[in-house]
Amino acid sequence: MGIDVGKYLKSPEYEIKITTYRDIFQAEALECDRFGAEYMKHSACLVMSKNDMVKMGLKTGNRVKLANNYGSVVVEVRESKRDEPGGIAFMVNSPWSNALVSDETGGKGIPEFKNITARISLVKDEATTLESLMGSFRK
Amino acid sequence: MVTCPGCALLCDDIEVVVENNRIKETRNTCRRGAARMKGCVNRLAPSVAQKPDDIENAIKKAAAILQNAKSPMLFGWSNSTCEAQLEGIQLAKKMSAIMDDTSSFCQGLLIERILQKKFRTCTLDDIRNKADVLVYWGSDAQDSQPRHLSRFSYFPRGELRQRGYEEDRIAIAIDVRESNTAKICKGHFYRIPPKGDREFILALMDALSGKVPAYEPKKMLELAAILKKAEFGAIFVGLGLTYSIKDDFDILIPLADKLPNFNIMPMVGHYNMRGFNEALFKETGFVNRVKFDGKAIHDSRYSIVEALRKSIDALLVVGSDPLSSLPRSVIPHLANIPVICIDPCVTLTSKIAAVTIPCAVSGVETGGSTVRMDGKRVELSKCIESNYLNDKEILARLMEAL
Ligand code: SF4
Repeated sequence: MGIDVGKYLKSPEYEIKITTYRDIFQAEALECDRFGAEYMKHSACLVMSKNDMVKMGLKTGNRVKLANNYGSVVVEVRESKRDEPGGIAFMVNSPWSNALVSDETGGKGIPEFKNITARISLVKDEATTLESLMGSFRK
Repeated sequence: MVTCPGCALLCDDIEVVVENNRIKETRNTCRRGAARMKGCVNRLAPSVAQKPDDIENAIKKAAAILQNAKSPMLFGWSNSTCEAQLEGIQLAKKMSAIMDDTSSFCQGLLIERILQKKFRTCTLDDIRNKADVLVYWGSDAQDSQPRHLSRFSYFPRGELRQRGYEEDRIAIAIDVRESNTAKICKGHFYRIPPKGDREFILALMDALSGKVPAYEPKKMLELAAILKKAEFGAIFVGLGLTYSIKDDFDILIPLADKLPNFNIMPMVGHYNMRGFNEALFKETGFVNRVKFDGKAIHDSRYSIVEALRKSIDALLVVGSDPLSSLPRSVIPHLANIPVICIDPCVTLTSKIAAVTIPCAVSGVETGGSTVRMDGKRVELSKCIESNYLNDKEILARLMEAL
């Protein structure tokens, strides 16, 4: 086994696979107020297996930056309450997960909404707000 | 009893308590349906160029934008009544516009094949009365169509299934994640890796043909044995499966052929997506992604994602929030063209729109027809009075103004 250089750096970066799912509490919050705190709480969140969190030195409530060629967001980490083998993390489908999705569809028109690869690192920043996700597109 | 417009199950057993012309309480809805029927906190107001205006001016300005565009696109439609959808199709024809709906990046691939009769399908009522083996594949109905299991599939005591889930029904989940639906399918949850559905289908076909599959042979043979014994089975195809096999979708056809007692059911989210797909199919032979140019031309260039990247110079959005639901990397294109937004609520898209036109909430402030996920036509009721025009009326006014 090689030396884990990452652990000597301040905020090691790992590669992570993310898939999206639907959550009725988030859907309820969306119907009520898509700009509200409840919708953000359920959306700006990455659910991970205990194994992966230990491996990456993360705890529930930590904030992480997720970044790839298409965008980046800061979200909160939560440990999955389910029996997850690890290797894949989960986000409820939302503008936060969509920030990491490519619009390149091979001409077919269906983006890879559920098949995201990103770099993950622990950060102290606040979670990305919908306002700041929108910011650059205001006319 | 009224109908809930919260998802494509269109539950028609809802009671509402109205007080001061507001829905104070709903009975029999799930959380999502209750929230939809009680309404959003941010109602949309008419605006032009990001400034408040009146509805007449907003409609006039919208017509001018569409008229000046060389290549306008009309998008959304899955949260609109059938009447509004038909009006929209006429508008698209009149303007030689591109037209697409959310099925373009959702269940369009499946609905198209169902309308082309490439799959055996049935109604949700057949499932409630007869189904004994239920396969939720890439579908977390519990969170997406929350009353699916309780009204139609797993828990009810149907005509031929009087002993319900305790003895008469087997529920199976095939998914990447142990979803809430998978948790209910105790002992019959097949976890697959992301994009693992194709391999799973091939292995299952081997197992059904009596061959030893290369992938998880023991589990696949066990699953094949359950499926073969089914008297009336249903495969609920969720977005997880559709996205995973989108490049080779027809692989599902030989699997369905090997399961003669099974029906395929598209798990549709938005309440009238299927209505739009059926209406456009009837008009053009295609369920989405068309350009009207004398005749209807169908091409993936006319999908919302590809069209935004390339060809359109104005976008009318009806009852949808592409800024929220599309990849963020496509949004700069969207922000560069004039957008007209018709919606009951403020959305991310309405916030960048050149023109916003508020409409009544279908199923609450206005009635209309819809098509359930299984193709059954269901009527929406008007529960409260409102001064808002409905989306059909707005589209008709737009048509007149052109
Ligand atoms: S399951 Fe769908 S239609 Fe039924 S109450 Fe819930 S949101 Fe409404």
